Amino acid sequence: MLGPIGQKLIAHVSIGSFSFSFDLITIIMSWIVIALLVILALTLRRSLHQDVDEKPNRVQALLDALIDLVKGQLTSSFSSDQLARELFPFIATLFLFILVSNWISIIPYFESPTKDLNVTFSFGLLVFFMSQFFAIRRKGVGKYFKGFIEPYPFMLPLNIVGEIAKPLSHSFRLFGNMFGGAIMLSIMYMFPMTSWIVPIGLNLFYGLFQGMIQAFVFSLLAVAYINVAVET
Amino acid sequence: MLQEAQNVVSQISGADIATAAKYIAAGICMGIGAIGPAIGEGMAAAHALDGMARQPEMEGALLRTMVLGQAITESTGIYSLLIAIVLLFVI
Repeated sequence: MLGPIGQKLIAHVSIGSFSFSFDLITIIMSWIVIALLVILALTLRRSLHQDVDEKPNRVQALLDALIDLVKGQLTSSFSSDQLARELFPFIATLFLFILVSNWISIIPYFESPTKDLNVTFSFGLLVFFMSQFFAIRRKGVGKYFKGFIEPYPFMLPLNIVGEIAKPLSHSFRLFGNMFGGAIMLSIMYMFPMTSWIVPIGLNLFYGLFQGMIQAFVFSLLAVAYINVAVET
Repeated sequence: MLQEAQNVVSQISGADIATAAKYIAAGICMGIGAIGPAIGEGMAAAHALDGMARQPEMEGALLRTMVLGQAITESTGIYSLLIAIVLLFVI
């Protein structure tokens, strides 16, 4: 009964002695999300040619609200204003991509790319390397490596494991939430008695509400991890 | 009666028992694993609500910290979900 849930469309490509496997659905859906975001940005940019004195139109007000949300709720948690200004595009892009890819699952036959562990784990690794890079740039190489043997040298394995566990738990959280929602939905679709109302409501709940919360939490945790890596 | 029962028992193979154990284990894993995060998130929400009722002007910061804490609390539940998924689909 649970057979078709885990099935995937995998493409195998072998170049020489290397062989790669791609999840086709995830790649196509990621490209659709990217195309949506680019088209949205290009069309919204057209309405931004206004003077400051003029009354802002609707699109501009919407964009202002969005940027205020990301600035006020996410990047204001950074310890310094300079870091917030530098990382605002990164955090906003992360937030928008995850938000749109979570929301796209409410369209029938579309699957969110964040349902795939490869996508979320690459986001986790991205945030991990960003945090290490900013930590090295802020503190210098010597102080960065000295941070691993603080407060005591025997804490070194604990600190290393703590750093490695961050991207793992970060990516598993998004993946688990999205995949768990998808499994709940497909189980609900299987029962004939609940075939209409319950799946629609659940789909909206998991797609819109959970999707927004998870996108927010993911970018908030990215901010927190980069901040912790830079500060301590 | 006894003969029928013996026939039924002889038809059950090891693979059937393994499948049954898999489903039962996934159910127990998810059921027990959901208790801890539920209690933890409820406590976080309750205390955040206390703080908001006492100081309504701190609502934004409290909400952000509450969501962050709940997201971290949630990871144990997510781990049990992953183990349940592995039990159901991979093993």
